[in-house]
Amino acid sequence: MNFGYLVSAMRASLFITCYNDTLFPETGRAVVTLLERLGVELDFHPKQTCCGQMHANTGFRGEAFSQAKRLVRLYQDTETIVVPSSSCVAMIRDQYPGLIQELGNAELQQQFRALLPRIYELSEFLIDRLGVEDVGAYFPHRVVYHASCHGLRGIHLGDRPWRLMNKVRGMEQIALPNLDRCCGFGGTFSVKNAEVSSAMLAVKMQDVMSTGAEFCTALDNSCLMHLGGAMHRQYAGMKTIHLAEILASTEAAPAEALA
Amino acid sequence: MSVSVSSRQQILDRVRGGTKSVSKPKEALAEAYAALPRDYVRAGRLSREACLELMIERLREYDAEVVECTPGELPAAIASQLALSGKHVFVAPPALPAEWLAAGFDWKVDHDLTSAEIEVAEGVVTAAFCGVADSGTIVLHHSDTEGRRVLTLLPDWHLCILRASQVVETFPEYLGRCQQAPTLVTTISGPSATADIEMTRIKGVHGPRFLHVILVNDQGA
Amino acid sequence: MSHTANHPVLDPRFAQPFPKAVLPVLRNPQLRKNVAHAIDVIQAKRAKLVAEKTDWQELRTAASAIRTHALENLGFYLEQFEERCTAAGGTVHWAADAEEARKIILDILHAENASEVIKIKTMTSAEIQLNPFLEASGVKAYETDLAEIILQLGEEEPSHIVVPALHVNRSQVREIFSRTMGLKDLSDDPKELTNAARNYLRQKFLKIPTAISGANFLVAETGTVVVVESEGNGRMCLTLPKTMITLAGIEKVLPRFQDLEVMLQLLARSATGERMNPYNSLWTGVTPGDGPQRFHVVLLDNGRSSILAKKTERQTLKCIRCAACMNTCPVYRQTGGHAYGSVYPGPIGAILTPQLMQMHYAQSLPYASSLCGACYEVCPVKINIPEVLLELRSQVVNQERGKFVRFFDPMYLGLRVASVLFSRAWLFHTAQFFGGIGARLITRKDGWIHSMPSVGGKWTQTRDLRGFPSQTFHGWWAARGQQPSKEAK
Repeated sequence: MNFGYLVSAMRASLFITCYNDTLFPETGRAVVTLLERLGVELDFHPKQTCCGQMHANTGFRGEAFSQAKRLVRLYQDTETIVVPSSSCVAMIRDQYPGLIQELGNAELQQQFRALLPRIYELSEFLIDRLGVEDVGAYFPHRVVYHASCHGLRGIHLGDRPWRLMNKVRGMEQIALPNLDRCCGFGGTFSVKNAEVSSAMLAVKMQDVMSTGAEFCTALDNSCLMHLGGAMHRQYAGMKTIHLAEILASTEAAPAEALA
Repeated sequence: MSVSVSSRQQILDRVRGGTKSVSKPKEALAEAYAALPRDYVRAGRLSREACLELMIERLREYDAEVVECTPGELPAAIASQLALSGKHVFVAPPALPAEWLAAGFDWKVDHDLTSAEIEVAEGVVTAAFCGVADSGTIVLHHSDTEGRRVLTLLPDWHLCILRASQVVETFPEYLGRCQQAPTLVTTISGPSATADIEMTRIKGVHGPRFLHVILVNDQGA
Repeated sequence: MSHTANHPVLDPRFAQPFPKAVLPVLRNPQLRKNVAHAIDVIQAKRAKLVAEKTDWQELRTAASAIRTHALENLGFYLEQFEERCTAAGGTVHWAADAEEARKIILDILHAENASEVIKIKTMTSAEIQLNPFLEASGVKAYETDLAEIILQLGEEEPSHIVVPALHVNRSQVREIFSRTMGLKDLSDDPKELTNAARNYLRQKFLKIPTAISGANFLVAETGTVVVVESEGNGRMCLTLPKTMITLAGIEKVLPRFQDLEVMLQLLARSATGERMNPYNSLWTGVTPGDGPQRFHVVLLDNGRSSILAKKTERQTLKCIRCAACMNTCPVYRQTGGHAYGSVYPGPIGAILTPQLMQMHYAQSLPYASSLCGACYEVCPVKINIPEVLLELRSQVVNQERGKFVRFFDPMYLGLRVASVLFSRAWLFHTAQFFGGIGARLITRKDGWIHSMPSVGGKWTQTRDLRGFPSQTFHGWWAARGQQPSKEAK
């Protein structure tokens, strides 16, 4: 299927984020497949590393400063940036303004102000920028969607994920009880307060497993790494998959996770 | 009992020092206060009938007994409520209209009654300052018809006479009815209650366990 | 420390770090069940009543602005409150710290020849550890809120700021009441238990002529004090005694009487999920013939003015103690309140406690959060708790990072190294390469890591980690030749 007619010569640059790059390259590949199918001319800046979220959230503000500065400079000439991770987008929107103001560099502030509206989380990019809900996906499976805290409350994705999922052919959605409750990952929280994190995970796992879905999906691989780690440990028989991979999946080219 | 001047000064100095960059000069304070956003609902949107219905509904949700009557029927309505209560000894605020003090009951009008005297009364009859329909709240300003605070506290049964013209829809509308800030206020939203044990709501802890309201339709039929 | 009771006191100076303090709780299924049940009930009630309020967000905006304005001009409003309260017959005292507040209160009690005092639930009095101090000074303090009676008689500590005994269930209450009140045949019916408390207190209300309260709000414009409650014990304490002592933090001031129309609407719905709590009591100084004829207000600083001085942290003091943040907090839901080692638990406690301690204690609390943001969303005065948590975390790191022991701390070391790696793409890519090799050594045949060394072991206590993929995304992209492929099949 070719959706190229929907958008003529839309260009975007993929900020894959450090942990997707390292641990979940299949999500990045799926974003490439998906966006190119939709006619987006995709670019990837080879010098990208990390947005600084891990440092900022753990209290290493000095380190977060330098990463924020680095990211703003790196993308200052980029038209549109797509990020398949709502927590990294939340970091940029919620924490960068304070960090960059504190740095007190007027030029950097100017660059950041100009950059901010050009940064899109993946579902925002699809719906707000491209104006598509039906991306031509086919995924004949039972799926439960986990709304990550940063997607839900951080950047207020609202109904965007559902508008996309509703158009996926063959997919059965099962609602997650206590959708708005945190899975307990929280970055370094998961090791700094490992016992509490595990207790929160156990509660979330009960809700997730109660759906009887085959896949648990989300727009954040960090939560999925947490849930997936528990699923594997518990032989739960459910798998995790980033929503990008579901949206990229077609009859002819099913998601890698199905291989 | 001495006021610690040094601590007072020390605290105020620290407070003023800490807010130096954000505090307003005295002259500009009222203006800054007036500019605070207040976009919440202040005036009610319901019709009079709907507002009174809501008041009654809310009171009944609190398990309060509510009856309605016309001004002319009021003394009889009071007498009937008192009779139904099965109680005999009642306290009343000093300026409660004489015709409200139904015959056949033991009335103790509050001219400096002691707590012990009030404690042995079985019930109390008072007027009110205002009713707020949105939350089913009865507001007492403790005038001579509403009684001292202790009067509506110790007796286990409280009959409150509320005129329809006193009922407003929203809490802000109640404040709008205060000509000047009252010095004593008790708001009552249902009988005393607790949910401290396993969040199970138990009616009647220390305050009156039974609240009865007579809503007097004084605004014409 | 001078407390006579033989049970642990929630004192941040002696509390264990949060990750350690939670362990006994996490191994206590009954406690966790009690906590989860209670907060699930309150949350559901709150959610229903907030949903019906069409102007909820407007009320929050107004409340936040009012509280911010009050704090920014606190010097003026405190003096105005003092002036108006004094004019109405009250006496205002100022206490720089907990010790001074305790002394002021004891001096008043001595002047009244009081050997007993009745109390309305006040977390501020728990903050200054008033009860053990009074006890040691020969004054018996009787708590009158049902939850506080349960705690006092059971020698328990509060675990919540609105429902302090929510960790105790009915059969535990039955045991406490039956033992301490000598009621052999008491059942565990909440109604019967409540009635036992009513009988236990009735004579005390009528006989003890001195009372201590907290304050929900102080109104500067009028010198009025506001106490919000449900049971009527507050009204008893505010009405029957001859002498009333109100202990209030300096941040409790509202500019004007009108502000109550915002605050009271928000507080009841947020705290207990009611349209309005059963009783609000407002009084102004002394009213001849009605209520206590001697009235004292003790204004407590105890670290608050130093919080006020800081831009990001100042919002902490907007708090109206509704506890909505702890009711919605997924961490609190697992741990309950005691693990926070403070009378202020949950998200607000995680930011308030270390600040009241001037960041000398409770440094683990800012980390007791997954930063899920639920607390900010429900806060009726819009305290951005995650923002303050992050600010405090950075202060903790600044305190700690220079210390020798932190040099080899895996977390500190790891984050320092990671920062260097993220500064250059080639360093990051090299680290990914060697990290991948390292990971392969511990990856099992099923492609997953089941056990990791060092801090990673904390992860693999309960979860596996998928092994590193053979190719990073940027490696794949580079191999793809950087030409956008047209044919996505």
